[in-house]
Amino acid sequence: MNAPPSSKPKAGPILPLKRDKSTKTLVLLTDKIADWTITIGGLFVILAVAGIMIFLVQVVVPLFTGAELKSRTEFTLPPASAPSLAHQIDEFHTVLAEIGSDGAVKLSHVGTGKSLGGLDPLFDQPATAYGASFDGEEMIFGFADGTVRFARLRLSSLILPESELPEGLTQLNDRDMTDGKIVYSKVSGHQIRKTSFSFSADEPQAVAPPGIGVVDIDYRVGGTDERPVKAFVIRDTEGVVHLNLAETRTNMMTQKTTTDVTEVSLPGLPQGFVTASLLVNDRGDQVYVAGTDGTVYRYDARSIQSPVLAETFDLVSGQAKLTGLSYLIGEQSLVVTDDQGSVDVFFRLPAIETGGSDNFTLVKTHSLEKQKAAIVALVPSQRNKMFLSADKDGHLWLRHSTSEQTLLKLSLPEGSAPLAGLTMAPRADGVLAITEDRKAILWRFDAPHPETTFNSLFSKVWYEGYEAPSYTWQSSSGTDSFEPKLSLIPLVFGTLKATVYSLLFAVPIALMGAIYTSEFVHFKVRAVVKPGMEMMASLPSVVLGFIAALVMAPLVETWLAAVFLGFVMVPLCLLIAAYLWQLVPGPVVRRLGGVAKFLFIFVVLGIGFQMSFLLSGPFEALFFAGDMKLWANGTLGSDVPFLTLIVWPLSFFLVELALSRLEEAGILRLMPQGHDLKAGLLSFLRWGAVVMASGLLAWVMAGLLTSLGVEARGGVVDTYVQRNTLVVGFAMGFAVIPLIYTLAEDALNAVPEHLRAASLACGATPWQTSISVILPAAVSGVFAAVMVGMGRAVGETMIVVMAAGNTALIDWNIFNGLRALSANIAVELPEAVKDDTLYRVLFLAALTLFAMTFLVNTMAEIIRQRFRKKSVAL
Amino acid sequence: MKSGETMEAVAVKPTTGAITARRSYESSLSARGEPFLWGLGGALGFGVLLVVGFLVLVFWNGITTFWPKPIEVVTLLSGELVAGEPTRREAFKVGPERLASLPEAAKARIIADDHIARRVLLRTGNFDLYNDDYRWIEDYKIEKVETPSNLFFIERQEWGAFVGRIKSLSKDGAVISGDELTYAFLSSEQQEARQRFRAIKAIEKGEIGEVNFELNQERLKIRKAVLQHGEGAPETKRVEAEVEQAALAMKVRFEALALKSQEIKSQDSKILVTLADITGTEKVTPLSQIVRFYPANDLSLLDKVGIYLSRWSEFLTDDPREANTEGGVLPAIFGTFVMTLLMVVVVAPFGVVTALYLREYAKQGRLVSIVRISVNNLAGVPSIVYGVFGLGFFAYILGGSIDALFYPERLPNPTFGTGGLLWSALTLALLTVPVVIVATEEALAAVPKSMREGSLACGASKWQTIKNIVLPRAMPGIMTGLILAMARGAGEVAPLMLVGVVKLAPELPVDGFWPFVHLERSFMHLGFHIFDVGFQSRNSEAGKPMVFVTTLLLIALIALMNASAVIIRNRLKRKFMVGHF
Repeated sequence: MNAPPSSKPKAGPILPLKRDKSTKTLVLLTDKIADWTITIGGLFVILAVAGIMIFLVQVVVPLFTGAELKSRTEFTLPPASAPSLAHQIDEFHTVLAEIGSDGAVKLSHVGTGKSLGGLDPLFDQPATAYGASFDGEEMIFGFADGTVRFARLRLSSLILPESELPEGLTQLNDRDMTDGKIVYSKVSGHQIRKTSFSFSADEPQAVAPPGIGVVDIDYRVGGTDERPVKAFVIRDTEGVVHLNLAETRTNMMTQKTTTDVTEVSLPGLPQGFVTASLLVNDRGDQVYVAGTDGTVYRYDARSIQSPVLAETFDLVSGQAKLTGLSYLIGEQSLVVTDDQGSVDVFFRLPAIETGGSDNFTLVKTHSLEKQKAAIVALVPSQRNKMFLSADKDGHLWLRHSTSEQTLLKLSLPEGSAPLAGLTMAPRADGVLAITEDRKAILWRFDAPHPETTFNSLFSKVWYEGYEAPSYTWQSSSGTDSFEPKLSLIPLVFGTLKATVYSLLFAVPIALMGAIYTSEFVHFKVRAVVKPGMEMMASLPSVVLGFIAALVMAPLVETWLAAVFLGFVMVPLCLLIAAYLWQLVPGPVVRRLGGVAKFLFIFVVLGIGFQMSFLLSGPFEALFFAGDMKLWANGTLGSDVPFLTLIVWPLSFFLVELALSRLEEAGILRLMPQGHDLKAGLLSFLRWGAVVMASGLLAWVMAGLLTSLGVEARGGVVDTYVQRNTLVVGFAMGFAVIPLIYTLAEDALNAVPEHLRAASLACGATPWQTSISVILPAAVSGVFAAVMVGMGRAVGETMIVVMAAGNTALIDWNIFNGLRALSANIAVELPEAVKDDTLYRVLFLAALTLFAMTFLVNTMAEIIRQRFRKKSVAL
Repeated sequence: MKSGETMEAVAVKPTTGAITARRSYESSLSARGEPFLWGLGGALGFGVLLVVGFLVLVFWNGITTFWPKPIEVVTLLSGELVAGEPTRREAFKVGPERLASLPEAAKARIIADDHIARRVLLRTGNFDLYNDDYRWIEDYKIEKVETPSNLFFIERQEWGAFVGRIKSLSKDGAVISGDELTYAFLSSEQQEARQRFRAIKAIEKGEIGEVNFELNQERLKIRKAVLQHGEGAPETKRVEAEVEQAALAMKVRFEALALKSQEIKSQDSKILVTLADITGTEKVTPLSQIVRFYPANDLSLLDKVGIYLSRWSEFLTDDPREANTEGGVLPAIFGTFVMTLLMVVVVAPFGVVTALYLREYAKQGRLVSIVRISVNNLAGVPSIVYGVFGLGFFAYILGGSIDALFYPERLPNPTFGTGGLLWSALTLALLTVPVVIVATEEALAAVPKSMREGSLACGASKWQTIKNIVLPRAMPGIMTGLILAMARGAGEVAPLMLVGVVKLAPELPVDGFWPFVHLERSFMHLGFHIFDVGFQSRNSEAGKPMVFVTTLLLIALIALMNASAVIIRNRLKRKFMVGHF
């Protein structure tokens, strides 16, 4: 200890006259500094710990916030000569292109409305119908003389270095400049973006007899780049609907292109049918013709020569009139709107008996929030399953089909003219609405996670192509239009399944072992066993995972029946040994009771293992028709033997109960009597008889259950896969056994000695003492130990990554794999893009895991504290 | 019952009276609860067997992996010859379909043996010839097994092992074969070849790597200048000129080095060895590609020990090869070590300071007890959650900001903005901080209050008391906590998978380039090595021996840490016990 620095004895007066009694400033200063550092440091760590939770929540929150409106710009467009049919804006909301019914292309700047030129009218007559591909780039125009013209409009952006900026530009706003035609925008990194457009139209093509005009049209381009397929449906003035399929082939050798055009009129439409909408998919094999009354005629045109009317279906309810019909991206979902304001989504799903002639039928899968007035416009997003619906009163709602949520509600200003055009930006981050008085409004918004709501993550969701709503986790796939399916339920289920099975294995062994260690074992044995088990608690789980997956899984697969038999055989051997032990005379028992008995137990265990191994063949033949895996698949054998095994313990208990009742009543005298040996022998025989009798009873019960239709397979026991829950249960059980064992043993050991002494002094045997005095006193501590073990099992990662097979399923089959929350995070997070939906959902998974373990651990902590208080009171 | 006496209840002699006697018999046997006791004991025994079995499995497999085994040549009934190291023998059940396809004699034998047959897993090597490293041979297919001499087990730099004979050696055009080709001659030639191989590697990885590194640094200077001053600015031009000059000098260096390595390579390519497998299929390979070779069936015990030790030394001191399934694990050992050390450096002050605050400074009340509960609770939070936090906060947010501030010239390639050593250490520090806090708090609580009060009464300030009285006495507890935290940190893999561990790190996190310790680099880790080799390699069977050895190493490392925690605790305890009054 540092003495005050001035303690060196000096020559001088023996008693110092004056002594400095004040503390040195340095000491005071260090004290203050230490004070502050420790306080700040301590608080910092505590804050950091809270910060983890806050950070996780902060990452997760955007999943549930819908869309955020970022800006709203209003401007006036230059007047147009003819009503415009098509509107398109570029990815960066710079240029708006309008195509009039006269074929004129008008470009204007988004934000200021300044005209950027365009092209003069191209058509000699006004177009009467217009259709476009999903991205709006490929278009078709229909005319009153029965001709159509194909056209292409492309708005393209190019990034250039700043040095290539031309001279003499007019400033449009603080981002954009123009030379009158091309817009140059400043972007970060000293670069500029040049936005330009191109438009081309083909020559007119006659598709209807002269004199018959085109009224309505829909158009798709599909196929590959080398062999594009153009599919379009038209309705002519006569009410006849034609399907046209133009397939263009390029000869590899000659580079000559040939176009095969097939034209067929669709049968079965009633006279005077008024179509509200036509729809064709990009392969041209599905055509929908919808009437204003909501009846849709669905055609199966897989054979283009003879399209078949597959079914007619009423899309709207009651008297409502259909106002819009559109595909969503992927061309699987159909959005239907009506004049009552309802917006519904339909899927075409297989229905063998009840469906149309192609064994499919339309099913209403999503009913979205209703708008107050008739829906007049419907614009799907080109990015995801979002779409925009606009009603007559000028309300524009941004919605998402799968999650059924309304992301954003926009409205035109009060008293503005009716909507003339509506378009969504290609990146689904902006909406441009044009009214009939040439006013335009651009809303920019940010909808990063439209597909996630609390419901979509935790309830059943009806995904495209699924026959029913389901809990599904499938985060990625090869195709572009794939919709990620992010339900956390299968993962939570996987975690619970792994936890339950591992605890089923671990808890009995750990607790029974703990009771035995604390109450019955020799102190020398305890001094070795306890620290050894404690050391195992710090074993890296990756090692356990490796052993489980690469050593145990193949072993268990080969010796499945032996493993199963072990569960029966080992306890049976122990019981037989116990009854035999009762035959040993008292003095010998007293001498061998300690270490020797524990060693005997090992011998018995060894015999049990050997027996299970040796008898596995006959066992398998007897109970599982010779092959347990095939039996589990359900391909052979009957359920009765296995059910017998399951109900045996129950029937044993019943027989034992009945027997003791009978004996109580004095009807039967089976209780052991006589001296040690005789009593032991009798009790052995009695036990043997009860086992036999209960086995017989169990067999009868199993037979009855089977005839009642109870099945052993299909639930907990089903098809076998190599990486399965049984193996995970073993490995994870192995991981938690030391933990539960140590904590439970501590709790049992903490029971005050005087309780034990009192009980024994009253004449109770050690067994009676431990089971009716010690265990009840320590039960909360023991329970806390189980909870801590459960917390560890819930969060365990490497074992489930390696041994669980990682299939996201919801079934209790012990022979099947699982995908746990923790494993899912470990496998998918390294690949996830930052701030992406998957990234945030994985953070939510982490938060869920955190919450689960927090709950379990807090419960354990509270129970433990109560236990502490109680044991102090004892 | 703590004491050593064993409690065994034995049925007592009956007293007189028919009814009481019956009762007493009944209760005395069931009161003994022998079946239950055996059940409890069986559970404990099973638990102990699990632990022992596990340790024996890992230890045995780990320790025997490197022992050279003989090569068996198996002649199958079909006449086919298979040569390989027997790695594992097991009994297996013969399915009915397979049984039906067997000849009668074999069938009868298997049926007599309860449908069980035996098989051996031969490590045949020669992946380039057979497309497989291992082959199961069932005993009913075997005609005879021999261990002929002069069969070599050859470990190669690529393609794994080769099992077969060495036909000839061609040196500078001259072909040496037959009796001239002695083992001693081959050995010395191989030693030379390996030296050349190492020289090439030293030049290509070491010196050329150095030049490339510097060149890259120079290029980054230009980017930096462009970002600072804009393109074409006079400062940028100046930097560009400088860099060009430096690059020119480096190019000269590079060419000289390339020439040197080319020279050795051409020399190397002239010494070829022709290998032949047991069926005579030949394979020509440069001698320098052979890492080790030995005549497996002609080894004396001393030779075997030599090979065993040399394999261990390669394992501990060399880089991995063959997709980590062979060679050494030095980078993984190093990575584990550096990461754990860094973690302790971070966790020690914070953990101790927090415990000091909670125990010595904060007012004991409801808040502190809540904090204590949550710290306890955090010890139970799954490690993967910390990994998620580490990735999201440390790597992406902190690292991203550091990149934007200090390394804008390297963007969009992240420097700190991705997983790395520092972030791994910080994540694990966060993970282990509850362990340290709890241990330190316990240690602080164990220091008697009287000592504190005595010190304060003597006029020492609070900090002086803590520094001189409390901390030294709490030191054993704190050290134990730290070492336990290290043991936990060293064995943790799941969070590291998210924050910076990779299967193969091209560069060590510590090297000769400034600033010597590269905290941003990703690294290899023993635990992840186990996962990677066991699960991501082309053939998990081929990786298994390596995984066992790595497992043994990792367990040994952790056991060592745990044991040293105990020893340090005991030693410090003894030291301070003396000081008590």
